[in-house]
Amino acid sequence: MPKQSEALVLRTYPFHEADLLVTLFTRAEGKVRGVAKSAQKSRKRFGGALEPLTYVTAHWADKEKQELARFDSFEIISSPLAVEVNYPRLLALGYVAEVIDQLLPDREPSDSIFRLALSVVKHLQAGPIWMPLTYFDLWIVRLIGLLPDLSQCAVCGTALNSSRAYFHPLADGLLCANDKRLASSEISAESRMIAAGMFRAPVETFTSLHWPRQRGADLRRFLAQSIERHIEKKLVTASMLDRI
Amino acid sequence: MAKFAEPMARLIDELKKLPGVGSKSAQRMAFHILRSSADDADTLASAIQNLKEKLHLCSICNNITDIDPCTYCANVTRNQRLVCVVEEPTNIAAVEKTRHYNGVYHVLHGALSPLHGVGPEQLRIPSLLKRLENGSIDEIILATNPTLEGEATAVYLTDLIKRPGVKVTRIATGIPAGSDIEYADEVTMLKAIEGRREL
Ligand SMILES: [Zn+2]
Ligand SMILES: [Zn+2]
Repeated sequence: MPKQSEALVLRTYPFHEADLLVTLFTRAEGKVRGVAKSAQKSRKRFGGALEPLTYVTAHWADKEKQELARFDSFEIISSPLAVEVNYPRLLALGYVAEVIDQLLPDREPSDSIFRLALSVVKHLQAGPIWMPLTYFDLWIVRLIGLLPDLSQCAVCGTALNSSRAYFHPLADGLLCANDKRLASSEISAESRMIAAGMFRAPVETFTSLHWPRQRGADLRRFLAQSIERHIEKKLVTASMLDRI
Repeated sequence: MAKFAEPMARLIDELKKLPGVGSKSAQRMAFHILRSSADDADTLASAIQNLKEKLHLCSICNNITDIDPCTYCANVTRNQRLVCVVEEPTNIAAVEKTRHYNGVYHVLHGALSPLHGVGPEQLRIPSLLKRLENGSIDEIILATNPTLEGEATAVYLTDLIKRPGVKVTRIATGIPAGSDIEYADEVTMLKAIEGRREL
């Protein structure tokens, strides 16, 4: 039976001689992996629609007892190629695609994560990447259910308020000064305020703010670490973002 | 799968690593080689060996070549002050097909690709900057692919190489010749309109 859904392209791999293996994040069915026949050689049916984070209407068919869907065609709703793509933006889009691909199980729809991804991709069109990335990190970690209580120490339960707080790759939440481990990193009170603010308002609220790279960098590191701990591997794009 | 004698199984395993070759084709090729004369088998083996021994990268443009500099860089009838930047050595053939390009090349050996861990450090950019610093280039044509990665690579390079006296251009993208604009997707159409030229 033919299926249709809004979707974001996550990534593609060459497959056999001329085909592409495509991972899609569909609104209707969550992550769907499948084959786009002849897409490597002929771009006729897919055109520029196979670029990462292109927002498309996807048409596909599931074959019985087969894990891979057969993608028939994608129509572009909006493409990241419509505006200039610089390296930071390419990296940011790559990061969003990698995190979603790694965190989401196959065929489990999540409308809230889909809406988050759409609005973050939209805000990555122009301006610095760090605000939309901070927003994305916070919300994806929360929506997946990995976010600890940022207001108290994970060990002793003391309220952190404006006192110093720390995180560690092997600790579940934030730590107070007494419970911090060796080689912990600090997360500033300002960054914890950013987190609280971002949970109360849509991403549009923050577009007019000046947002240099350092702003919320500790928060993003903490969140990326939570993601890496959950997927039990390093995110390729996270270390590349650290280097630009 | 049928059990083969060890030398046969080994050859089949190696052939299967080639792009587009499955078990069936690998078996067919292996049996073909077995049936052919010792001379033919030797010729094939030495051709493969030769390829790896004799081919290397051109010290100027990074094209794959058996002589250094490569035939393009050594050709005095070519405009050595016009450089076309491509992602892969195979892209050179695509430009050459036009029979209208008379400049030389620079091969990056890839494009910026975060999902594959490819950043600027992995591309052959320093040698391009060196060519520029010698003051021997008038124009650089950025002919990376019109994909997200190719576009980002072109933008990244533009920032690095823009300097007085050097023109930086990007190949046009848009509607393929002989097609119908009715079937162009919206990005392609947008690029075609952006890249329009005065007649
Ligand atoms: Zn504590
Ligand atoms: Zn050369």
